[in-house]
Amino acid sequence: MDEVIFLEVLEGDAVHSRHRLDKLPVTVGRGYANDIILDDPKVSAEHLRLERREDGAVVLHDVGSVNGTFSVEPWAALKELVITPDTRVAVGDTVLRFRPRNFVVEETVVNEAPASARERLFERPRAFALAMQALVATSFISERVTQFQKTDWGDLLLASVVPVGLALLWAGGWSLASRIARRSFHFRVHATIGALLLLGFAVAPPLFALFSFSFSLGAWLGSVRTLAMLGLVGWGLYWHLRYVTRWSAKRVVRGLVIASVGVLVLTNVTELLGNEPFSEALEFPRSLLPPVLRVAPAHSMDSFFEDTKPLEKKVDALTKER
Amino acid sequence: MFSLLLVAALAQGPAAPPEPSASPQAPPVLPVPDAGVADAVVPPLPVASLPPATHELFRRIQGRVAQVRIIERRSGTKSSIGSAFFVSAKGHALTNYHVVSDLVLHPEDYTAELDRGDATVPVRLLAVDVASDLAVIQMDAPVSDYFKLEEHEPPQGTRLFAMGNPRDLGTTIVEGTYNGLVRDALYERVHFSGAINPGMSGGPTLSGEGGVVGVNVATMGNQVGFLVPVVRARTLLDRALEQSAPPDPAALMTSVKDQLMANQQRITDRLMATDLPKQSLGEYRVPGRWSPFLKCWGDTPHDPETPYTVTSYQCSSEEDIFLSSSHRTGVVTYLHQHVESQKLGAMRFSALYSTLFSQDPDAVAATREDVTNFRCKSEFVDVKGLTVRAAICLRAYRRFPGLYDLVLRAATLNATTHGVDTSLTLGGFSAENARKLARRYLEGLSWTK
Repeated sequence: MDEVIFLEVLEGDAVHSRHRLDKLPVTVGRGYANDIILDDPKVSAEHLRLERREDGAVVLHDVGSVNGTFSVEPWAALKELVITPDTRVAVGDTVLRFRPRNFVVEETVVNEAPASARERLFERPRAFALAMQALVATSFISERVTQFQKTDWGDLLLASVVPVGLALLWAGGWSLASRIARRSFHFRVHATIGALLLLGFAVAPPLFALFSFSFSLGAWLGSVRTLAMLGLVGWGLYWHLRYVTRWSAKRVVRGLVIASVGVLVLTNVTELLGNEPFSEALEFPRSLLPPVLRVAPAHSMDSFFEDTKPLEKKVDALTKER
Repeated sequence: MFSLLLVAALAQGPAAPPEPSASPQAPPVLPVPDAGVADAVVPPLPVASLPPATHELFRRIQGRVAQVRIIERRSGTKSSIGSAFFVSAKGHALTNYHVVSDLVLHPEDYTAELDRGDATVPVRLLAVDVASDLAVIQMDAPVSDYFKLEEHEPPQGTRLFAMGNPRDLGTTIVEGTYNGLVRDALYERVHFSGAINPGMSGGPTLSGEGGVVGVNVATMGNQVGFLVPVVRARTLLDRALEQSAPPDPAALMTSVKDQLMANQQRITDRLMATDLPKQSLGEYRVPGRWSPFLKCWGDTPHDPETPYTVTSYQCSSEEDIFLSSSHRTGVVTYLHQHVESQKLGAMRFSALYSTLFSQDPDAVAATREDVTNFRCKSEFVDVKGLTVRAAICLRAYRRFPGLYDLVLRAATLNATTHGVDTSLTLGGFSAENARKLARRYLEGLSWTK
């Protein structure tokens, strides 16, 4: 063994404390007369001693401890042991490990977290202001357009301000997490991400309604919409997490993909198992927009009633299911 | 809103002491004639110049009416009750289909028995007529005393006596007036001005001479009752008497299915034979009152605050066929909503119009045991130059293959701030007939400009 060795006090797999043994012999135990003191009640006051033998090898001696000293692999009580690199020894409830100075450590992990390299779009101060303004404007317009009762300006005002409040609250939560994990609030960034998320939520329904109406798209648009919303949420969470954790991008993506698949499976578990719950609902697209937005051609009466014929087979198949 | 069917009331503990409703307190108007007449095969009733006193009639015929109890096999006790009356010496009795529907649909779970006052006797189901809501049951023991079915309808205003066992309170007689057949009804009914209550279903309604002129079936409350005309009862009884053996459950189901098929064919033929009248609604023309059996209503709520108006026009047969307590069929109903706004812009109008289009009329009552889920097909359709967004939804009957409920939804798309949203519900039709009717209906939509 090398001249200088290290004694490591382990805690699980991690190192709790590390002692450089420049000079031997070294005594280990609970008493204050020792070179290395272990605060383990099952360790004796004078427990063991490390000495260098004449041939240069480091030898461990149990100096008459109450509970004994054990080699870990294989587990065996010992009085004396020649220390080799990575030897582990148990005393009381404590595990000790010996390492030479020439121990080769793992390669440095490349830091992927944003140091201050490329500034991201939503890190710019103006992005925050723009996102907030866009959110207010969009909320106002969508509330105004979908509200066909007598105009209530109070409601309208509230509807435009509430999303901004929500975005700020949401950002507050993430900021605290960032502060705890990364020692920096990143409040503006989190608020911008939150605002963009809400903007997506506000814009998606009219967009999908427009698609559904203009091209007379069927029920499959619903699944596209679900996926799109899930993608949006995934995008938001990804960036929030990047500012909160030090995880690599791959790890975050992996986590989010697993989570989304989990959510999809859990919310559609009945359909996946093939037991559709009984419902009297009529499932067909309901959006009606101004006639000029219609792109899909109108079918003739003949073709419409011809196209509805397969319904008969579909529902007949349902009767046989159970 | 119509036909509160007398679903045989769940047996309830007697709230009041059961007292015979015909209490002999009033002094008899006529002297009591021979009391032993009950033993004769068809006992001659006294030919009274005036309707006899109610208590007199009651005393004579009390034994000819019995309570039907539907017994749930596992609990071994009654799950619902109704009334029945004997019509032959061989123990044939008439009642309502809706009293014994559980026997038809769940023969493995239910049996029936008659409570004759002193004893309960098991009965079997011989024949049913679902459209008229009638059933023939039979018990093994012969009966000495039974009713005669009248040959003819009595004149309007005749005093009649409805008998039955309302709410399990004991045999009761209720006086009322014959008011003829219900005008323009889809299913033939006699209008009886008298109180018919749950549990009296299946009981007879008698003329003063004691002949049966109808079978109690439904009430609308407030002394408005309905009877099945005696002609229907006679037809069904004749059919039951012709049978050599009681039918097995499968044969009964088949007969119900055939009747439903025939009934929907009858309605379809009736509708297809007439031109669909046009009703004008704003600048549109929409299907009007297609047939006299449809009752149509319209309304426009006026609210000065609302920046739009919705005028609704709806027609409904207001009658249905009872298949089970959870399942109705034989329904035709439709609703038009004309929406117009001067104040809303195109986008806000679209939001309003989409909201209306998203609201569907109530489906015909059914559960997952009875029907499948709906499947829909939606397209833009050109109805003679008028573009509509239309959808057809269909669901199948689980017990009666070949029968479907259809819902047609359509909204016109020819203008930015007005339009007509319409829905048609057809309950219990063959797919072919339903499509035929839906097409005729959709063709009834047009724009006048």
